Amino acid sequence: MDRLDDDDRPLSPEEMLRLIEEQQATTTRRLGGDPLLTHTPWGITWFAGFGALFLNYAYGLLSRSTALAVLFALMILSMATTLFAQRTVSGQVRGEAADRGMMYGISWSFGFACVVAICVRLSLLLPSEESGLLWAVTSMTVVAVLYAVGGALWRVRTMFFLGAWLAALNVAGAIAGPTVHALLMSVGAGGVFTVVGVVQRARQRGGA
Amino acid sequence: MTGPRELDPVIHAQARLRVVATLNTLGEANQITFPGLRELLGMTAGNLSVHLGKLEEAGYVEIVKTHRGRTPTTYVALTRRGRRAFEDYTAAIRELLDLS
Repeated sequence: MDRLDDDDRPLSPEEMLRLIEEQQATTTRRLGGDPLLTHTPWGITWFAGFGALFLNYAYGLLSRSTALAVLFALMILSMATTLFAQRTVSGQVRGEAADRGMMYGISWSFGFACVVAICVRLSLLLPSEESGLLWAVTSMTVVAVLYAVGGALWRVRTMFFLGAWLAALNVAGAIAGPTVHALLMSVGAGGVFTVVGVVQRARQRGGA
Repeated sequence: MTGPRELDPVIHAQARLRVVATLNTLGEANQITFPGLRELLGMTAGNLSVHLGKLEEAGYVEIVKTHRGRTPTTYVALTRRGRRAFEDYTAAIRELLDLS
């Protein structure tokens, strides 16, 4: 990216337009919008984590504690990746967008604080598999709603529809039970988030 | 208006075009620190200062010197005029591409 040294070289209109598009894509990505670092890690986490839970529920192939360990370890990795994606310049921006982003980010902790409170209280009253479903459904409710809200805040349709898609799967899974819920979250949610992240990143790179 | 528009000479330089495109992407009512902008653009501080000076002269960017805690901080933002100039510039470029 050593464009500065030949700054005075006149560019064709095509090159200028390309320069603008590249710079806009880079800026969006560096401001925390890199889909490969936001959607995809969560997609992989749900695919593998809920996939492990499904194998436990459906076939007893893995122990419950191993499946949960896979899910939680990947969740921690995904959180770290998301924070990493937003590290570079998010603290360097102030104004409306920065305020909005900060309040939105904090909202996630409100949602999960409620999830933990509800689930800790009710888990004791439920059989093990139902308690697992309670944790999964309430957590994914927060994710689905906040994804959709995020889409609404920044007017990003993909994000809004990802939230709607998660909500639909979550409702279906809650009705069908823990095994189906785990399968839907693994393949439906995990698979789609992984693919959307990769496709969006490829489009950004293409400058489209 | 007839014929192709003239390209704004202030923005018609790669480095300044990149500066303006970046600031425009931040959105209205947002400012970025000088080091943050420098990192996004991969420019040296000296180089960026020179280009920002020219853009400020044209009234396209606003440079705000303030303090974050005790640290002096410089924020940069696109002015309404700068945003307009960038929009006109991209429109002119597209027009040229359509004509050719």
